[in-house]
Amino acid sequence: MSDDIKGGLDETRCPEIIKILSLGKRSGRLFLNNGADTGNIFFREGEVIHAQCGPLQGMKAIHEMAVWTSGEYRFDVDDFPDVVTVDRTVDEILNEAAERIRQMDRVTSLIPSSSAVYELDPEIREKEISLKSIQWKVLAYINGKRSISDIAQKIGLGVSDTMKVFYTLIKTGLLKEADVIEAESPSGMAKLPDTSFMKALTGDLVRAIGPIAPIVIIETADEMGLDLLSDDSNQKAALIESLSSKIPDENMSLQFLDTMTDWINAEAE
Amino acid sequence: MKGTIKDLLKVSGVQGYIIANQKNIQIKLPSMHRLAGAKDRIKRLYDDLVQARRRPGNTIEVFLDDMVMTIFISGTTMLIVLSSALANLALVRMTGKLVVANIVKETR
Repeated sequence: MSDDIKGGLDETRCPEIIKILSLGKRSGRLFLNNGADTGNIFFREGEVIHAQCGPLQGMKAIHEMAVWTSGEYRFDVDDFPDVVTVDRTVDEILNEAAERIRQMDRVTSLIPSSSAVYELDPEIREKEISLKSIQWKVLAYINGKRSISDIAQKIGLGVSDTMKVFYTLIKTGLLKEADVIEAESPSGMAKLPDTSFMKALTGDLVRAIGPIAPIVIIETADEMGLDLLSDDSNQKAALIESLSSKIPDENMSLQFLDTMTDWINAEAE
Repeated sequence: MKGTIKDLLKVSGVQGYIIANQKNIQIKLPSMHRLAGAKDRIKRLYDDLVQARRRPGNTIEVFLDDMVMTIFISGTTMLIVLSSALANLALVRMTGKLVVANIVKETR
């Protein structure tokens, strides 16, 4: 049952919504989306008990969603999770989220967006540099073509965490902004319409079957005679259903269906 | 989404559902619905589709005069969703798949 708590993240950010729901001792699910990314925070009598955002769960998921400044949110009062991944009080969560926002403000002062592309700077200033393993992992994917969000997806890290790693690498003098403007995209991606539905669909399918996803979407739509620009929810649902049947792993297929069904329902409301 | 019956009932045009397994049949339909009292017919359908294990695949869509019966089978569990023919049937199938997967997971 919808409880009519919904709005835009540009006006009310995630920590503020958590505070409101906590003060009201609410139980249910807070759904948030930020472009192609979606996430959920579950409450029981005002306490946060579970959070999920893409592959992230628990506090990592909350950290990711806390810094979203665009997108929408909606609160449903009748959804409860099977798992508990958050065991902190709302005050602790809000303090961490505030710290996270402060960190991200610093990061975004240097890195304007997660679509930015960097390359290794051959003019290194330091004589010796030591790296943490996560920094090395990120560095290994930097090729002057992949965007920060592409790399986040490849290594399974949250976008904001990846941006923090980039921030450190830039400050160390290892990276410089790449000359290319467009991020590297899998073959066929350019043919997909630039709609929020298509971004969500592609993002989720890439997670399930890898970079071939855009090609699979185009081929499936062709086979079914669907218009990728259509706003018809019947067509969108039919495409999602057909794509889900092409995901070989059953759990991943259900996960894809789950996220995209959420998306369709959110759009319908 | 949790993939619960409530999610299914939120889909516009869904009239109700039937869950059948080896032990019982649960019918949740408006009292005036023409399948509301059709327990014996559902039992025969269950026996035919699930017990006999003759049919490959796991989703069956039956178009009746003014409604659609979408049947989901997973193991020995059968979920039937009754909806208007005007409902978003792909959304019904997507949600139904998630619901039946959850029912089976919970009964394991």
